[in-house]
Amino acid sequence: MAESEEEVDVLVQRVVKDINNAFKRNPNIDEIGLIPCPEVRYNRSPIVLVENKLGVESWCVKFLLPYVHNRLLLYRQRKQWLDREALVDITCTLLLLNPDFTTAWNVRKELLQCGVLNPEKDLYLVKLALSKHPKSPETWIHRRWVLQWLQKECSPSGQELKDQAEPRGDAVGRRPCERLQRALQEEMRVCADAAGRYPSNYNAWSHRIWVLQNMAKGNLKVLHDELSSTRLWVSMHLSDHSGFHYRQHLLKALARELSQVGETELHPSKQPNGESTAGASDDNHHNDVIPQLFHEEMELCTDLIESFPGHETLWCHRRHVFYLWHQWRREHLQGAGSQSPPLTHTDVLLSEEPCDDSSTSQTMDVDCVLDGSKHGSYTQDTKRLKRGPLLPHPALPSEHTFVSRILTDCRSTEQNRFAIAYRKWLDSVIGFHDPYMQRPRHITLIFLAP
Amino acid sequence: MEEASPPLRCFSESHSSELFSDDGVQTVTSREQRKVERSIQEVYSVYQQIHTSPHVCQFLARCQSPTGGFGGGPCQHAHLAPTYAAVNALCILGTEEAYEVISREKLLDFLYSVKQPDGSFVMHVGGEVDVRSAYCAASVASLTNIITPTLFDGTHNWILSCQNWEGGLGGVPGLEAHGGYTFCGTAALVILGKEHMLDLKTLLRWVTSRQMRFEGGFQGRCNKLVDGCYSFWQAGLLPLLHRAFFKEGDSTLSVSSWMFERKALQEYILLCCQNPGGGLLDKPGKSRDFYHTCYCLSGLSIAQHFGNKDLHNELILGRDENRLVPTHPVYNICPEKVAQAIEHFHRLPVPVQTGPTPSAMDQS
Repeated sequence: MAESEEEVDVLVQRVVKDINNAFKRNPNIDEIGLIPCPEVRYNRSPIVLVENKLGVESWCVKFLLPYVHNRLLLYRQRKQWLDREALVDITCTLLLLNPDFTTAWNVRKELLQCGVLNPEKDLYLVKLALSKHPKSPETWIHRRWVLQWLQKECSPSGQELKDQAEPRGDAVGRRPCERLQRALQEEMRVCADAAGRYPSNYNAWSHRIWVLQNMAKGNLKVLHDELSSTRLWVSMHLSDHSGFHYRQHLLKALARELSQVGETELHPSKQPNGESTAGASDDNHHNDVIPQLFHEEMELCTDLIESFPGHETLWCHRRHVFYLWHQWRREHLQGAGSQSPPLTHTDVLLSEEPCDDSSTSQTMDVDCVLDGSKHGSYTQDTKRLKRGPLLPHPALPSEHTFVSRILTDCRSTEQNRFAIAYRKWLDSVIGFHDPYMQRPRHITLIFLAP
Repeated sequence: MEEASPPLRCFSESHSSELFSDDGVQTVTSREQRKVERSIQEVYSVYQQIHTSPHVCQFLARCQSPTGGFGGGPCQHAHLAPTYAAVNALCILGTEEAYEVISREKLLDFLYSVKQPDGSFVMHVGGEVDVRSAYCAASVASLTNIITPTLFDGTHNWILSCQNWEGGLGGVPGLEAHGGYTFCGTAALVILGKEHMLDLKTLLRWVTSRQMRFEGGFQGRCNKLVDGCYSFWQAGLLPLLHRAFFKEGDSTLSVSSWMFERKALQEYILLCCQNPGGGLLDKPGKSRDFYHTCYCLSGLSIAQHFGNKDLHNELILGRDENRLVPTHPVYNICPEKVAQAIEHFHRLPVPVQTGPTPSAMDQS
């Protein structure tokens, strides 16, 4: 039976209303989805609400989507007016069905800007959309826009404007830093959810990195927390290259932040509040924490490689962690070979900024030797290292031992292949770029290129 | 493109007069007849659009924004991806009419409007940065000869910072290496003449590791599944790298083949990526779409043809009929079309930027 336009109109308006009512009835809806149901049923609502899950029967989509899409476009072209409430409902319906629709997200931005929506409400819609489309790039992009908007609202200048306007509800009443704190925790949850719904979800993990860089910059506690909270996750998603890449990012960020903290401790005059630092024993604090982090990561990697043979991601992760560790150790523990503190070159290397004295460091690298058997010029740092950390640090020899162990114990052909490839990489990349002779070409190219 | 010959009935003006006309008395049959005719009309008009060059030019002209650049459809905001596609499509057509669709002055304004102080570009005004934008911008600007001295200030440094430890490039600095972004970044650097500033060896190591041992096709990232479109994004890097190593004077370079397993890739595309009804796809079980059709074929062409017009080595898997024409490894349209477009636009002077400078634009 063919449908007339009026019948479709009535049906669709009812459905939009049903969706809206569902949210009113249950503010805890945490997931939406399509229910495969091709048989058209005019006299029954296609909206199903069970526990906290909202379902849309698939038969209604072919009516619903074109209708709401069209209405929004007509509004945008100024051919048909929609009041604020209708806009909220229509964009909500539209974006839950098809979130890759920038125009609809832009309407939501406008609603936010004029105060009809609050950021948390929109972030909730984004979260729901992601439960159905965990990769959708436009959705993640919109989410970042809302977060930036939220940050502006919570900033000191934003708060002043707020105080002048009328109070709108309890969301505004909360202290700004608490709001942002909650938002930060929520972001990590949303990212973890989306990462779980689609393997190696590039957009979800990229967003997580963005959150760290924009909502938790330099926040050591968050970095540490993230390292511990993702540990279990990656252990259960062994082929998720993006998840492991995130841990690599955390390690790099932690090493950078801790080194800078260390530098501040050693240069009391640089501290803004003029407090004097603690004694010399604190000089090595970062020296222990960073190696500890790398050691734990290598241990985790070893555990996983041994327990679950044949996962390329784990070997890739090992390479990266070893490479980072190798770089950090070379730059940091060898130091400048003079009386100056050992941290200057680490900042240079890890902050990836152009280095003018790379040639000077090269000379010093040759002079300065880590190997205890040589009686070259010992610096303060190498002396400390000799009596220093109790943990065995990953090094070329220990890595080779690890590879041999894997090759003798393991019966998986994939695992063998990865182990042999890793050994080859150790020899050709790490071994070739001998720490005492030259910097890796990669860094040289960036620093010295015209 | 020329019209199909002999001309089809649907192209004649009198065709529409054959449509069913209603005396106002609707029956079930008459309504069904109407519906059928409406859908057939759509099929015919789509065919007409595709098969007449003026139609394509006119359509793309309607997609061009009054402030420069092209949107996804008429009356849509300009965006670097459809801008890239539109300019390439017009260069493929290669007629005077096609070239003239592009408003070069406005296009330059548009590029400046999305340029960021750090050298990167957003994909559209108010949008986000990622390395695709640099490629889209470099591609259209170089083809249409609108590169001013300041247009790509800082761009090559920004792209370089996208190369990570793995050797590939991420979407923005700090992200995971990814096939699509790696191609865009590398190709953009080639256009800007700065590809030698990449760590070419680790990039080579990364991309060659992306060809799958069993499937023969390429994956987009470590430990992910094969996908037909990476036949171009990943395999397409090898010609670029080959050229870069050649320019550095590398004497160990092959003179007969790109540095990937060409036969295996062709096998994957021909055997696994074709829809029996026509069109190509990601992997068996997936549905066909234009994107995969384009990039599977582009990858097939890359695999079949090594070298340039002076030194050419063909390796065609299967019958001779499988042979595609070579594609330009940077722009991914025929090399002759690239040459023709560049020749045409280089006869024109570089426009002067008339719009506001990037720092003056309100990006919120």
